[in-house]
Amino acid sequence: MAEILLSEAEKTFILHGVEEGFRCDGRMRLDYRPMEVETDVVSHASGSARLRLANTDILVGVKTEIDTPYPERPREGKIEFFVDCSANATPAFEGRGGEELGTEISNSLATAYQSSQTFDLTALCILPGQQCWKLYIDILILECGGNLFDAVSLAVKAALHNTRVPKVKGACLDGGTVDLQLSDDPYDCCRLDVSDAPCLVTLCKIGDHCVVDPTAEEETCSSGSVVIAITEKSLVTSVFKTGVGSFHPQTLIDILKVGQTIGLSVNKALRAALLEEEQQGRKKECFGFLK
Amino acid sequence: MWTTKTFLKKRKGSVLKIVREHYLRDDIWCGSDICTICAHQNEELVLEKNPQPKNKKFPFPHYIVLDTCVVLNQINVLEEDALCNVIVVQTVLEEVKHRSSSVYKRLLDIVGNPNRKFYVFVNEHHKDTYVEREPGEKVNDRNDRAIRVSVAWYESHLMSSQADRRKRDRVKVILLTDDVDSKQKAENEGLHVATISDYVRNVEDCPGLEDRLSQHNTTYELQAGGREPLFPAHFTPSQIHQGIKSGKLLQGSFLASRENFLEGQVNVEGQDKMILVQGRVGLNRAVDGDIVAVKLLPEEEWSVPSHMVLQDEGDDSDVLEEENAILKSKDERVAKLPTGHIVGIIRRKWRQYCGILQKNPIEGSVRHIFVPAERKVPKVRIETQQADILSSQRIIVTIDSWPRNSRYPLGHFVRALGTIGDKDTENEVLLLEHDVPHSKFSEAVLSCLPKLPWVITEKDVQSRVDLRHVDICSVDPPGCTDIDDALHCKELENGNYDVGVHIADVSHFIRPGTAIDKEAALRATTVYLVDKRIDMVPELLSSNLCSLRGNEERFAFSCIWELTSEAEIVSTRFCKSIIRSRQAMTYEEAQIKIDDLTQNDTLSKSLRGLNSLAKILKKRRIENGALVLASPEIRFQVDSETQDPIEVEAKKLRETNSMVEEFMLLANIYVAIKILEDFPECAMLRRHPKLPVSNFEPFIKAGRNLGFEINSESGKALALSLDNAVRPDNAYFNTMLRILATRCMMQAVYFASGMVQRDEFFHYGLAAPVYTHFTSPIRRYADVIVHRLLAVSIGADVTYPDLLDKRKSHSLCHNLNYRNRMAQYAGRASVALHTHLFFRGKVQDEQGYVLCVRKNALQILIPKYGLEGTLYVSPHKGAKQNVTFVYSEEKQTQKCGDVIFRPFDPVTVQLSLDRSNVQHEKIVLKLVHPQIPGFSVPSLSSVKRKESDENLQEEMEISEVSVSPPIEKISTKKQKVK
Repeated sequence: MAEILLSEAEKTFILHGVEEGFRCDGRMRLDYRPMEVETDVVSHASGSARLRLANTDILVGVKTEIDTPYPERPREGKIEFFVDCSANATPAFEGRGGEELGTEISNSLATAYQSSQTFDLTALCILPGQQCWKLYIDILILECGGNLFDAVSLAVKAALHNTRVPKVKGACLDGGTVDLQLSDDPYDCCRLDVSDAPCLVTLCKIGDHCVVDPTAEEETCSSGSVVIAITEKSLVTSVFKTGVGSFHPQTLIDILKVGQTIGLSVNKALRAALLEEEQQGRKKECFGFLK
Repeated sequence: MWTTKTFLKKRKGSVLKIVREHYLRDDIWCGSDICTICAHQNEELVLEKNPQPKNKKFPFPHYIVLDTCVVLNQINVLEEDALCNVIVVQTVLEEVKHRSSSVYKRLLDIVGNPNRKFYVFVNEHHKDTYVEREPGEKVNDRNDRAIRVSVAWYESHLMSSQADRRKRDRVKVILLTDDVDSKQKAENEGLHVATISDYVRNVEDCPGLEDRLSQHNTTYELQAGGREPLFPAHFTPSQIHQGIKSGKLLQGSFLASRENFLEGQVNVEGQDKMILVQGRVGLNRAVDGDIVAVKLLPEEEWSVPSHMVLQDEGDDSDVLEEENAILKSKDERVAKLPTGHIVGIIRRKWRQYCGILQKNPIEGSVRHIFVPAERKVPKVRIETQQADILSSQRIIVTIDSWPRNSRYPLGHFVRALGTIGDKDTENEVLLLEHDVPHSKFSEAVLSCLPKLPWVITEKDVQSRVDLRHVDICSVDPPGCTDIDDALHCKELENGNYDVGVHIADVSHFIRPGTAIDKEAALRATTVYLVDKRIDMVPELLSSNLCSLRGNEERFAFSCIWELTSEAEIVSTRFCKSIIRSRQAMTYEEAQIKIDDLTQNDTLSKSLRGLNSLAKILKKRRIENGALVLASPEIRFQVDSETQDPIEVEAKKLRETNSMVEEFMLLANIYVAIKILEDFPECAMLRRHPKLPVSNFEPFIKAGRNLGFEINSESGKALALSLDNAVRPDNAYFNTMLRILATRCMMQAVYFASGMVQRDEFFHYGLAAPVYTHFTSPIRRYADVIVHRLLAVSIGADVTYPDLLDKRKSHSLCHNLNYRNRMAQYAGRASVALHTHLFFRGKVQDEQGYVLCVRKNALQILIPKYGLEGTLYVSPHKGAKQNVTFVYSEEKQTQKCGDVIFRPFDPVTVQLSLDRSNVQHEKIVLKLVHPQIPGFSVPSLSSVKRKESDENLQEEMEISEVSVSPPIEKISTKKQKVK
């Protein structure tokens, strides 16, 4: 991850602050920074969202394409994540610099979405065993301000919420190939149910305590983090650890409990925001930079 | 200012979301002379300042706005001059373009007429009149709304310019629509609205306008992707596989009909009758040659081939009414054929097709129709930007796919061959179309040729029999440079004859496995076009080293018999030899030498000896049941410089032709016996299968109608009954019968002896138990193989593994048969091409014969040109014809008044080339005699006589008469709107 140079004194300051329950930007340990989310920012994509979490800036586009399902899962569609770390975010991403981080994030998302109890892939099936939709989720990291996992997962969920899959009116086999009839009305399309899509919550261990939504500086002070993928139904779909430090089993259990409650509220907040945006209807004002 | 339009598009199995920028402008003017707001140029002021109110219902000055379905349904009314000052909004224009190209063109014509005062208002790009589609709104509803918005805009826009006018002088805008919903909505919005019939009925001083109202009120629904697919879906490969396994489906190759694009047959292996497939659904996107899976229909739904000659001329919006016509016209009395539907394609045999581009009538469109030269192949839809250039060229196109909702397959342009009508281009087309390899020989091939000067070495002389002292001569057609056979005949002391057939020793130069051998095996045969020869082997061999030219020492493979004067064979021997032909003669020269009894040199004597022996051999052969068949063959005399044909003549057959033929047959038969004896498993032979009696049925029926019983039980019986079928009143009758018999025959094919049962070796046409090809190795690859086999068998050469592998021989035979067939077709196509060239600018009356009678046409054979043409007797749709013909399927006749046309009847027809469509020239036949008033045309001679008598004006009338007989009308393109 993009490292920030911090002096020893600065690190101690952050460490002591966390110990006392205060953070440099005035938050408590379990507070998030303010977030902005906007959907439908890329008109060419089937679904898109832009999420800004303080200085972290994420743009997600969802592309739908037709593919053949995996033979072992004939009734399911496919989903694929791709993370592009823009060199705009930090000079360290230049060239192939961001590749490792990108792969780490996309893998973590893939694991989080893998469980059959999260995002429902059967809705993406067109003809069992023959054709399904494949969602290409392209994530662009425009700016790095810490807590990439959380920000990316929230942006992905928002983009999926916004995604409109073309409605297939009829599908039948013609010879070996599938012949699809699509609705000609661009508004006539299927929405995806994202209520089970997981959000990632990063709990960053600084000293003996954990903080959520670490800034880039705090991440530098951390010995390790636990990332929990959690759905709106409080279901944990994956847990993994990043960084070099170790966790005492009891700490880990405590962390998971904290993460669960936090994850729930994050999910709820995102949902509320998305619904509010949707209620503005087609007349909503565009803030996105691409329109 | 801009907004975006979003729509979905399917492309190559995927769905794309496409977003286009859509620009809105504030400088689109209303086009009205009243307007004081818009910054018009003068020529843009289309709509009048004070339009005359001529309508009882709307007694105030007004402009009219049309709805799409009004334009589509009532284009006839619009074409009348009564309606003026009309605003055509772009929405309507686009929709009309999409729905019907012909109506679109007519509408554009009206708009282009300045007197009509039609103004096209680009509402879709006007900032005030552009409407976006609402969620859940249909395209139609959105378009109707767009039209209403435009009407409302005009109303308010014009109002602001004529505030100073008196109220009843103010120009209003009236929307004409037949859509009830839209009308209601417009009324609610406070617009003036009327149905077209309402409006037209109240138009003053224009009687008759109302009559032009179309009652055909189509409720139209514009659906971009939702149109019902034209074709049923194909089965999946696994379904087909199971179907074939369980016997529910049959596998076979699909053969499209040349005459009717909605009919074809499926040749299923192991079934003697082909399966008939009819109609669009039955054919289900099969293209000629495809391997298909076919499902047989229950017997009560079986059908008969229609006797219609049907060409696909309709444009895209055309409903296939012909299809119904075919399916309805089932005749209960005639024996029905197994009929099926094609349900799946097992393997596509798509290749590249030659043809021409039929330009989209809409200017600037990139989607065009490609019309292949081969009539069995459907038209192909392609996209190209360079239609203007390509429309005058022969082009090559390949098919990519045939989706269910497309009437024609989709393809793409590959390359252009050259200008249409250009002889080189046309030659190229027919070579490509018949898959004839005609590129130059490669360096590798040429490097296999012997070095010049080529000399006969001492070693060669030792290994060969020296026949240079024998008086050998060759007899060939004039201008022949690839002489591959020569003959000699010498009277022996015991009264017998020593007769030799000497064939060019091509296998000496073409060694197995070399590049030249592979190339020759691929080409398989030399292809003869009228003005061109595509050699199987490079010219150095074909016209020089192998060619048995006069007075040059050449290698030969000789077959020498001792024959008694009764042509009984005493002994046969084969040897490789060196010969020196004394003279290379033409058939005519040889004939003169034989006939001129004053010539008594050895050559003349030997020719006479050969001739007399040949006569005996021929007689014996015919007694054995060999068939004498006929096919009309002609020669062109070509201009030496332009190579354009200047005269046509039927090929003359002389005694000498038959003489050479007889000895070649004899050599072939004896070689066949010899190689079969030595190589029972891998001899390359030629067989002519006896065909099932069923194939002869139509032919026998035709004979019976004329009172001749044709017996096709055996070759001999057939030959006999053909001989007896002579009509004194019709000298050409017998020949025609033989032509028809030839068409019933199957083609003779090469085969490897190990792959076919012994009793199937028979050559039916020649009545020979075994037969092969030995005598033309320069132009046929089969002969080269036979030479090699024979050389091995007499110990003159060594063998090699491929020669003795019957499977390899089998696949080689396959190629040889295919190439031979194609070469034959290419030759015929070349003759047809030259016939066309010959008839350019010519009109001729010719004697012809009715070859067969079709439901809507007569097939006429013109022996002089070997030409077969179609004389349509019933008009195409839309054309009027005063006389009607009655078709009797039972008797095979067409009757018109007192005149009855039966097969084989002589007729006189006028031939001319229809060049009205530059892309597709065709020879047109018109009836001259027997005369049918209103149908036949006056003969040329009578026209000429009149011309000389009468003055110029009348002459023009006459020429008009001869230019536009009914047939012209028949061939005009249909213009039809759904």
